[in-house]
Amino acid sequence: MIGLEHYLIVSALLFSLGMMGVILRRNLIVIYMGLELMLNAANLALVAFSRFNNSMDGQVMVFFVITVAAAEVAVGLALIVALYRKRQSTEVADLTTLKL
Amino acid sequence: MNISASILEIAVVLLGVVIMLADLWTPPKYKSWLGVGSAAGLLLILAGSFFLQVNEPIQAFGGMYVLDAFALFFKRFFIVATMLVLLISVEYSKKFQSGSGEYFSLSLFALSGMMFAASANHFALLFVSLELITITFYILTSFLRHQIISLEAGIKYLILGALSSAFLLYGIALVYGATGTMQFDALRAQSANMVQSPLLLVGLLMILAGLGFKIAAFPFQIWAPDVYQGSPNSTTAFLAVGSKAAGFALLMRLLMSAVPDVALSWEPLLMGMAAITILYGNLCALPQRNLKRLLGYSSIAHAGYLMMGVAAMSLNGSGAILYYLSGYLFTVIAAFLVIILVMQHTGAEDIIQLAQLHQRAPGLAGMLALSMVSLAGIPPLAGFFGKFLLLRAVLEQASVHTAYYGLVAVAVIGVVISLVYYFGIIRTIYWEKQQLVADEIHVSPISRVVLWVCAVLMIYLGILPNRLMEAASTAVESLKF
Repeated sequence: MIGLEHYLIVSALLFSLGMMGVILRRNLIVIYMGLELMLNAANLALVAFSRFNNSMDGQVMVFFVITVAAAEVAVGLALIVALYRKRQSTEVADLTTLKL
Repeated sequence: MNISASILEIAVVLLGVVIMLADLWTPPKYKSWLGVGSAAGLLLILAGSFFLQVNEPIQAFGGMYVLDAFALFFKRFFIVATMLVLLISVEYSKKFQSGSGEYFSLSLFALSGMMFAASANHFALLFVSLELITITFYILTSFLRHQIISLEAGIKYLILGALSSAFLLYGIALVYGATGTMQFDALRAQSANMVQSPLLLVGLLMILAGLGFKIAAFPFQIWAPDVYQGSPNSTTAFLAVGSKAAGFALLMRLLMSAVPDVALSWEPLLMGMAAITILYGNLCALPQRNLKRLLGYSSIAHAGYLMMGVAAMSLNGSGAILYYLSGYLFTVIAAFLVIILVMQHTGAEDIIQLAQLHQRAPGLAGMLALSMVSLAGIPPLAGFFGKFLLLRAVLEQASVHTAYYGLVAVAVIGVVISLVYYFGIIRTIYWEKQQLVADEIHVSPISRVVLWVCAVLMIYLGILPNRLMEAASTAVESLKF
């Protein structure tokens, strides 16, 4: 029988994987994928809790999150494209103009 | 369903849409009038807000949205803040190569997010309004997209902002899992007997991280200096007042209305956050030579002072936060407008460029000096009285927990450190010998009006604080703490 804890373990794994991507990878696109993975980990947790709490709030929340994440991706990718036009690169190592 | 409760937000969104459409038919020469028009529209909405009666909290959308005195205070605060930011961005919009109309309507959409945040009574509204603010700010920070620093600021804000939203959302999921509800009133009832539940505590910690990012409190402050430095000046001012205040509105509503029992057990944590934030912001500001970056660090320090009010966990502390934010608003707007005017023609923003400003523009020099004095917290200006109220609220709690004395000591040390760099700026303005080749400074009538309004209110709030204090204390009473 698959219980709540299985879903939560998968969700926590996804969240950590996403965070490792954000911390370890040097490419903005891959970092961004990591961030999306983290949001979806939260979505999975919400749906699982919703199912096992017998309330629909969590599932409704997921719809909001998906919409917001789409808006965030639209703006974020536009920014990354604008950076690429300027610098011909999407590596974080090139983001070093702002310093003391 | 009680849609009329959110009439102010609806008006702001409609105004934003109207400005966006008007932008299509406005010839480029007249675009800056759109900014003046949106500020005028906000003035009307602000006047309209005084017709709303909130003796009893009004709930709408199934308890997701609440309109009470606290929400209304913050809504008015955000409207005034956005109005001033719009007026100073009229001055700044000459720098935009295109799209100044979009800049104004985006500011209005960010405002609607802040106003919804002031009324959030459910995690869904909290998340959506916070994201509405943050996503609009991604665009506003990188609005000078032909300059690499603005773009870099935008991308740094984007990555760290999205990371903090992910934490916030995961925290919401965990709190939901622990309590089975996302509505704050229900959560209040549920959380009272689950103070020890690890799921709830971890979830709330992650939410605290997400909100801590918005207010730039330690250890979530890393983005602030870079983003403050790289953004267009008017956006930096908006970030410093609008986005920070929205974070505080949500934090206060969450900690005091939704999970008061957990919040009470977190006093040491909040105190530690406040103390470290104050010290970090002030110490890092000391060596800065870039004026905007310095103000970025100073805004971290101010987030620390404001956190003291949260850590006090009392109605007086919350009232002091509201007062402090209002004084901070006029001070920061005045400072940034002077920066915009003085540094219009130069690309860099080094403090040294203020040298001998009192000879070139005595009025602007006086204004900048006045706002630095207010930020430092010298009587009789607004900044002083705000700090006084915060410290008093913390001292009142010292009988409960002696650690509050330590917090007060740290805050006083922070103020003393901050005198060094605030007065460094004033020294540069009046006594720096080095004379740079300087352009003539032209002050438009709009900027003149904004500067006068800010100066008068800075002094008024410092000398006659009673009316705002009353408004603030009635506002926080609706937090039901």
